[in-house]
Amino acid sequence: MSDLMDKTEALVRKAKALGADEVIAKTTFGRRTQIRFSNNEVDISKVWNDYVTEVSMAWQKRVVATQIQNFVDAEKRVEDLFRLAKVSQPNPFYGGIASGSFTYPESRVDIRLRDLEEPTGYVGEAIEAAKGEVGKDLNAGGTLYSYYGDVYLVSSEGPMGMDARSYIELSIRAFSQKEASGHGVSCSSTLDGFDPASAGRKAGEIARLARDPVPGEEGVYDVVFDPLITGSLMGIYSMMSSAFYVMIQMSIFGNKLGERVAPEIVTVRDNPAAYSVANRAFDDEGVPAGEKAIIDRGVLKTYLHNTSTAKIFGGETTGNAGLVVPQAWSIELDPGDMSRDEVFEKLGDGLYLTNTWYTRFQNYITGDFSTIPRDGAFLVEGGEITGSLKDIRISDNAMRMLNGVKAMSRERQHVHWWEMDTPTLTPYVLIEGVKITRPR
Amino acid sequence: MKELDKDVVEHALEHAMGRRVDYAEARAHSAFSEQIILRNGVLEAYLQSVDSGFNVRVLAEGGIGFSSTNRWTRDEAERVAETACRLARASGRKTRIEFSEMESNEADWRVEEEQRIGDVDPESKIGLLTGVDKEIASQGIDVPSRVLQCFADQVEKYFVNSEGSKISSYVPRVACFGIITVKEDGKTEQAARQFGYSGGWEAFDLWNVPAELVHESMVLQRVMREGKPLMPGETTLVCGTEVVGIASHESCGHPMEADRILGREMSQAGRSFIYPGGPYWLGTRIGSDLVTIVDDPNVEHSYGHYAYDDEGVRARPRYLYKDGIINEFLHNRETAAKLGVESNGSARAVGYDREAIVRMANTYLMPGDMTEEELLEDVKEGVYMRSFTEWNIDDRRFNQRYVGREAYLIEDGELGSPVARPTIEMTTKGFWSAVDGVTKDLRFDAATCGKSDPMQGVPVYTGGPVIRLRGVYMK
Repeated sequence: MSDLMDKTEALVRKAKALGADEVIAKTTFGRRTQIRFSNNEVDISKVWNDYVTEVSMAWQKRVVATQIQNFVDAEKRVEDLFRLAKVSQPNPFYGGIASGSFTYPESRVDIRLRDLEEPTGYVGEAIEAAKGEVGKDLNAGGTLYSYYGDVYLVSSEGPMGMDARSYIELSIRAFSQKEASGHGVSCSSTLDGFDPASAGRKAGEIARLARDPVPGEEGVYDVVFDPLITGSLMGIYSMMSSAFYVMIQMSIFGNKLGERVAPEIVTVRDNPAAYSVANRAFDDEGVPAGEKAIIDRGVLKTYLHNTSTAKIFGGETTGNAGLVVPQAWSIELDPGDMSRDEVFEKLGDGLYLTNTWYTRFQNYITGDFSTIPRDGAFLVEGGEITGSLKDIRISDNAMRMLNGVKAMSRERQHVHWWEMDTPTLTPYVLIEGVKITRPR
Repeated sequence: MKELDKDVVEHALEHAMGRRVDYAEARAHSAFSEQIILRNGVLEAYLQSVDSGFNVRVLAEGGIGFSSTNRWTRDEAERVAETACRLARASGRKTRIEFSEMESNEADWRVEEEQRIGDVDPESKIGLLTGVDKEIASQGIDVPSRVLQCFADQVEKYFVNSEGSKISSYVPRVACFGIITVKEDGKTEQAARQFGYSGGWEAFDLWNVPAELVHESMVLQRVMREGKPLMPGETTLVCGTEVVGIASHESCGHPMEADRILGREMSQAGRSFIYPGGPYWLGTRIGSDLVTIVDDPNVEHSYGHYAYDDEGVRARPRYLYKDGIINEFLHNRETAAKLGVESNGSARAVGYDREAIVRMANTYLMPGDMTEEELLEDVKEGVYMRSFTEWNIDDRRFNQRYVGREAYLIEDGELGSPVARPTIEMTTKGFWSAVDGVTKDLRFDAATCGKSDPMQGVPVYTGGPVIRLRGVYMK
């Protein structure tokens, strides 16, 4: 066992010796690089080194947590934390943390991402691919991230594990005109699954098709959603499936366990599998973070739980413990049985939306919200793109849209970018009756 | 709280300066943060953290390199400096990045606390929040979900650069968030409020959070009981200070950020309807002559207050829209150099591990000379949107939407019955051009402005007086 694991375990022993009931310590030693680019050139290159240990403890149902950097003053910080617990207040709903010992799948981390020194070439590949679609007028910007980190977790209740996590992702937005753009991403846990040129090509293709947009018209449309915009929407549904968000009434899924919330073709899973940029072997309690269906063939099967929220709802932890509240790791929307082209054929007349941002709710219980499509937004007639649109907004309801899913493609893409909290593997999705508004 | 080791920071700078760079800086940032989360009167968790580290940013061969660490050793300082230098040179730019000229500054500034955050014990901090919860829960209104969060940050910074600037600062900040759900006759409505202050624990006396959140719960209950949807059509709109503040922030502050204007944020927070060669530029009319919007970091004890920005430039007010004309962009040294001006001190970073980019501080519409009574008495039929719930704006900052949370019909200059979720969707020019009346009030609201990749949520104020807009389409 490594020195870092020993140091992490020592903090747990220290807290127990002070009198804490339950303690978890998680140490992450990670290195992250980023290249930001715009106007077809690199703006800044960054490297971050982070050495952090998160310690959470409970004493007589009083829950406290802290972060310690690079083990500096670590014992004193644990003592301070215990003192804080003693003057804190009990949470009668606190249900403890996971106990027992678990076996974890071996990490399939890409060691090459630990030593990646000069990733600028990937940015060039993406820009060149976009230029191949748009031509000399291309103006592209974006971000390249790579990460490698070692994680050591020790729980006073038994779980103990070591994990290595890695990812690389490139996000590129290509402009063919000031108001004509497309966005593409390539996301992978390893270099083998990483294809920056494909991101550039997609961004460029959408930007080319989006030239000369005209203001869209208000109305109700059937819409094909690209994986990028579907991923943003899935991130919201996954947040709402956290038991904590249900408890604080920030969810459309409250009191709907076991009920139909979507058509039968919809199955939504949380699965931080090896391919995902959010890959992980265990959650922040040391519980294996495996695959679980949140919505199974249209029926809401479970909320996402840590041990404490699971007890409140009378179930088992789903392996989604974060430092304080349960959270989704990596979402998968099961594929449909059509090709992408067949989804567009089924659409016939309607819209094809490729990306969105700035999603805000009036009411998280009812699900009334709006979001602003950005990048290519297209009029589709007879299954073919016939025009480029701008200045439109989706002003609808999250539950109605989930129920409006009509078809999905077999092709799926693993997507994640700046606007999207939870990485998602998703197909193209056809949703009927989407309400579109525009400014007057 | 860990004290900054200035020797290590200066060593990092010196090491970078010895490696043939055009410019170098080292910026340390140490924050002791507390967060208290209360749900329906029960303490979910009490979090404390120390986040302390430093970065080196260099300009070399026309590129920028940035490297940060939270390991406070001289060896690590050298490694970080070398990494930043290597990254700058690896950028391979065809066009060279430059920083605008500035005088070097030496300063040691701090925000005073009437009641030091560190002197308030954890029990008192928890007790204050539980008191707020009890007040909301005891009004006879069904508020089934009450989430209260308190943040207290004590931030120490140290900035040095190769031009001789040397700036130390200490800023304590306190913030409170409340999200409530009110239930009435099977229906629900929700409200979120944020309070923020640079200073000490006295902030809670100034805010009166219990009264504010009780007011919100009463408003939501009344909307559900009496609120009627609006008949779509053109009308006169009166916007309360909260709505004026968000509109000033979203459709003036953001599009006036020069990094957006120049495309540097193009793939994340987006661009601007203002761009070189476009229909809108400095000197172009964007609103009526009653519209002057300023961004001012100098507002004392404001949530967005700073005396020097994170590039060491002294802060000053920026008149963004002046008398309805696009007047001055927000700049850091990089964007200022590109447009041939001096930085106006708008560079901000939320931590040692983030680059300083162009940000707002406190953005507000300048007050006029009317009273609210005078503003309303001239309205035969209209809507008063006092506060908002859902809102958003496109990434060019031109197509915006605000949905009213507290709103009333105006009939013959008097406030009438509540309106349920009145909505405007307007262009930036349409919104500001419709303004024909501005009161002499000025009120601020706290907000956290999100921008950049990785995300940097910076504390800001939004604000303004009450304004009147004619001929607005509402639904």
